[in-house]
Amino acid sequence: MILNVVRNGLKSPRVLIPIEELLGNADGSRIPEVQPALLTKAIAESIKDACPTSAFAIEEAGQGSVLALDYGKCVGCGQCFAPSEGAVVPAHILACCGASRNGLVKRWDVERRQEIVADEVALDQAAKEIRAIVGRALNVRQLDAGSCNGCEAEIAAMTNPYYDLERFSIHFVASPKHADMLLVTGPVTRNMAEAVKRTYAATPSPKLVVAVGACGISGGIFDGSHAVVGGVSAVLPVDGYIPGCPPTPAMLLSGILRVLQGQEVNSKTSSKV
Amino acid sequence: MTPGTPFSATDTAEVFGILSTQSTRLVSIFGSIDEAGNPWVHYLVDVASHEYRVLHVPAAGAIPSATFITPAAAWYERELHDQFGVTVDGHPDPRPLVFHENWPKGVHPMAQDVSGVPFASGEYQFLKIDGVGVCEVPVGPVHAGIIEPGHFRFSVVGDTILHLELRHFYTHKGTEKLFQGKPASNGTMIAESVSGDNCFAHAVAYCQAVEAACDTSVPVRAQGIRLIGLELERMMAHIGDVGALCGDVGFMVPAARAAQLKEELLRMSAKVVGTRYWRGISAPGGVTRDISTSDQSLLRQTIASVAREFAELAQMILETPSVQNRFESTGELKPLVARDFAVVGPVARASGVHLDVRHDHPYGAYRNRPFVPVTYHYGDVLSRARVRIDETHASAVLLDQALGELPSGEVLHKMSVTTDAQGFSAVESPRGELLYWIELRGGKIARCHIKSPSFQNWPALPLTMPGNIIADFPLINKSFNLSYSGCDR
Repeated sequence: MILNVVRNGLKSPRVLIPIEELLGNADGSRIPEVQPALLTKAIAESIKDACPTSAFAIEEAGQGSVLALDYGKCVGCGQCFAPSEGAVVPAHILACCGASRNGLVKRWDVERRQEIVADEVALDQAAKEIRAIVGRALNVRQLDAGSCNGCEAEIAAMTNPYYDLERFSIHFVASPKHADMLLVTGPVTRNMAEAVKRTYAATPSPKLVVAVGACGISGGIFDGSHAVVGGVSAVLPVDGYIPGCPPTPAMLLSGILRVLQGQEVNSKTSSKV
Repeated sequence: MTPGTPFSATDTAEVFGILSTQSTRLVSIFGSIDEAGNPWVHYLVDVASHEYRVLHVPAAGAIPSATFITPAAAWYERELHDQFGVTVDGHPDPRPLVFHENWPKGVHPMAQDVSGVPFASGEYQFLKIDGVGVCEVPVGPVHAGIIEPGHFRFSVVGDTILHLELRHFYTHKGTEKLFQGKPASNGTMIAESVSGDNCFAHAVAYCQAVEAACDTSVPVRAQGIRLIGLELERMMAHIGDVGALCGDVGFMVPAARAAQLKEELLRMSAKVVGTRYWRGISAPGGVTRDISTSDQSLLRQTIASVAREFAELAQMILETPSVQNRFESTGELKPLVARDFAVVGPVARASGVHLDVRHDHPYGAYRNRPFVPVTYHYGDVLSRARVRIDETHASAVLLDQALGELPSGEVLHKMSVTTDAQGFSAVESPRGELLYWIELRGGKIARCHIKSPSFQNWPALPLTMPGNIIADFPLINKSFNLSYSGCDR
């Protein structure tokens, strides 16, 4: 009988995804990527109008208009693809996650058809301390502040044999008392706000808080509901952001590593002209 | 229909008469406010497993409780009071359900403006179990694993559970109110965020409700693609659940293998439709994405190989004595209790209740497709695991058929919704009967009620607990695999 178990275990193919294929990969998330070369004012307007979560906005700057995309509000609904005439496509690579909220907003000059590159972001103090203490052996406590469980499903998938989170020395722990990082999903509901604060208080310092998904970052589609307090930053200081609805396991992993390394959030883009 | 009212009114006497009939199952009770500002209570019932009926009762005054006729009404009536302020006379447990102590008394979000409601405080009264050696064990809302929040209050003697009281709605997000005022086309993405791990079932149920309200037909190819998405979602959910059950008894080889098989289906979905969980694929009027012929054969091959490997794995799991020892006779849900609480889905079918929307109320591509629901009779963890194992196989067979005979044609009828209309639609989600009831006014959503299988099944979980040991709770809970967010909304 136990031989069957061993045989079954040995029979399973090796499916581990190499690290270089994993980092930054956004396949299957439908997070948009803007092709600035194809932007026109009319297209920018129709992209903005098609977006049901106001993730796309048009800012009138001095010389002309700027198309802004807040990845922290985008739920990957895909409604911007059709009216964009090819100027917005599903992203294969998403470099846009990490240590700062502002870093999640990208901007494109519509007239010049190019990206407006943001300044570099400094390494967070808590991330520095945690790196100094644990190197890369990170204990993570997942905290659901009111999520729809889409993010939970993808966080759980990080432990499957394709992603094998443990190869990065990252472990999920059962108690906030054992954690270096709180991975917080969902808009914070009224009913969870107190429990979220207590969980944070129970986590020893130095600690990192990472807001996961559109809901965790901005409240997402639940922002403004009477039963929701807001994104994670409404109740806790946040050190990192991972966009997506839900972020795929590859995006989650890339995001966690990036927050830990305090890497610059906006420097590598695949869509520069 | 009375002039000036949107519904043909009946009274609770007639409703209770219907509910008292042996063959009637309560599906949902929910409220709404009509244009004149009058509150209504709607009773949705399933008559003899083949006909849904909605009965409308004006609720200007108090209504009598139906809980003594069917215990399944208990949570619905408490929610009705919390959300609409409708007084339910004679309810055995009138405590607030959805809103916790932070919510001021007498504030009912569906009946009034609730911007800027202040935080209140207070203490929740749990049921007190007295006796020599009885201890209370509070668990949650923050749990040890990667799972959703909810509170469980156990009363135990030693390891043995005497009583379990649930306290949920920590993830309540006011979702039903969020639908209101949105154009019908934008409701899909809210529906997809009710319970993210079976978002496609929610999206399809919502879209079908809009289509039913507007009397719109869906292209046959889109119906076929919806069936493919729904059955794939069921396979992923069931394979994941069986693996997680093994994980809960410390049997890690099959847990890892099942997670791998589930991931294969997720990755294939990403390849074929561009999203792992089929988000954004269903839309009122059809689907937003076609499946190419080459992708159809890729789907067929992958599904066949995953189904074959899972069948081998499942056989190994079921033949393992330590699994049998933990699964058998654990957390029994008796058929009578299952019927009293009108439970649905795999939980009902594991307790011998023949109930499957695909069979009883076929929709879309399930029409004219012979289909026999899987049932077991013992109602224990093993039966619930077996239902999921057998249904995974059945889904693979359905998928193979559907992919082999996918009709040609367009996939989306563009809809412009401008009417005043009501409609509802049910689908069999991986957790069971999922129903959306929708009311449109001028093309905007005036009311959207979600009957979630988890809301229906949670109250039955505590009844499986007495006599079991506390260490088996995670296993029993996992075998129900209910969504907290789907319940709390």
